[in-house]
Amino acid sequence: MSTARLQEVLICFGKQKQTDIATANTVGQMLRLRKLNAQLANPKLNTENDADEYGKGHEFATQSFQTSWDAGSTLEKYLSAEIAAWAMAFSLGKVVKSGTAPDLTYTCTPLFPANGDAAELPYFSFVEQIRPGAGVVLDRMAVGCAIEGWTISIGSGPGRANSKINVEFVGSGKMTEPSAIVVPAATLEKLLPSASLALSINGVNYVSSKNIVSLESSWKNNILLDAGFYPGSGFQTAGDATSGAIRGRLEFGKRQGTLKFVARFENGSTELTKLKSQTTGTAVISLAYDVSNSLELTWHKVSFATVEIGETDGLVTVAVECLPMYDATNGIVSAVAKCGVDSIGQ
Amino acid sequence: MINPVKVWLRPPHGQGEPEEVEATPAVLVPRLIAGWSQCPPPAKKDKQEVKPDVDS
Repeated sequence: MSTARLQEVLICFGKQKQTDIATANTVGQMLRLRKLNAQLANPKLNTENDADEYGKGHEFATQSFQTSWDAGSTLEKYLSAEIAAWAMAFSLGKVVKSGTAPDLTYTCTPLFPANGDAAELPYFSFVEQIRPGAGVVLDRMAVGCAIEGWTISIGSGPGRANSKINVEFVGSGKMTEPSAIVVPAATLEKLLPSASLALSINGVNYVSSKNIVSLESSWKNNILLDAGFYPGSGFQTAGDATSGAIRGRLEFGKRQGTLKFVARFENGSTELTKLKSQTTGTAVISLAYDVSNSLELTWHKVSFATVEIGETDGLVTVAVECLPMYDATNGIVSAVAKCGVDSIGQ
Repeated sequence: MINPVKVWLRPPHGQGEPEEVEATPAVLVPRLIAGWSQCPPPAKKDKQEVKPDVDS
C-alpha cells in the first residue's frame, strides 16, 4: 500500500454540454485542465433520523434515512483562454461558436427566459481520479453540474498569480463511481497574463494612463438549489427511494454581476465626478495570449456605486465599485472568448 | 478581401426563418439578448429536375 499525493488528482469535465441533467458527458466530450486548489468535489449525502418522532418511548434516534445528495466544488486556476471560454459558455449559458479550429471564437451572453431562452444552464460532468484502474484511490464523476459563478482577479506584479479565475460549480447530486471515463491528455493552456490587459471603463483607458492597480469582476447565478428537488426529481439509484433524492434541474435565480477596481488617483482623475453625476458607460476588459487566444469581457452599462480614496504602497489610489446595469440593446454582459478547443458549450 | 465569418441564427421561440449574420459581437450580442440562438445552416432545397411528359 502506498500513500497518494493530492497532486496526483486528475480532473476533467465536459467541454460540451450534456444532453440533459441526468445524461453524463462521454469520453470524447471531456476537457482536462490543471487547477491550483486542493478542494475536491466531494459528494455530500444528507441524512435525517427519527430522534424527534413520537411513539417510540425515548428521544434517541433509532433509524437514519438517506434524504438527498449534494455535489460541487471550486476550481481555482490561472486565467487561460481555455478555462475562460469554458467558464463563460457554461456560466452565461448562451453561446455562438464561429470560426474554424484552432481559431475559434465563442460569443457568450446570459440567458433571458423572457425572450424564449431556457432557465436552466448548460450541464456538464466533472470527473476526479487518483490512480484509476487496479490501484484506484479515487474515481468518480459528478453528473449534471452547472456553474454557480466565477471571479476573475487581475493584479499588479510579475507572477502568474496576478491573473486568476475561480469557478464555483454545483451539481445535481448524481454520482457515477467508478466514472468509466479515460481522462484525456491535458490541454496545454494559453495563459492570459495581467500584463496583456486592455481596460476601458466609463470612458477612461486605465492602461494607457498606467493607472490601473487591480481589478476584480464576477458573475453569480444564484442557482435555485432547493427547487431542484421537486416532486419526481429522482433518486441516486433510479427507482430506489432509499438511495437519496437528486436534483432534476438547476435553474438560475437572481443573477448578479460585479466589477470593482483600484487605480491611481491623480490630478484630473474623474472617478469622484462620475460618481456624483452617475455617468454611465461601458467597461471592456481584454486579456490576450495571442490573436487566437483571448478573452474580452464587456459590461455594457456601468455607473460608479462607490468611490473611496485610499492608498496602495504609499501612493494615492481610488477604489471603485461599479454597478453593472442592463442595457436595452446589449444586455448586461457579454464575453468573447477565443481559443483552440472545439465544441465548448455545444 | 477576406470574407467575414458568418453564422446561422434562429429567431426567438423558434418563430420564423433562420438568418445568416456576421459573427461579430456588434451583430451577435443584440440578437442573442433578444432571444436569437445559433442553429445549423438550413438544408438546401434540391432543384427538382423537370422532365417533360413524353407521349409515346
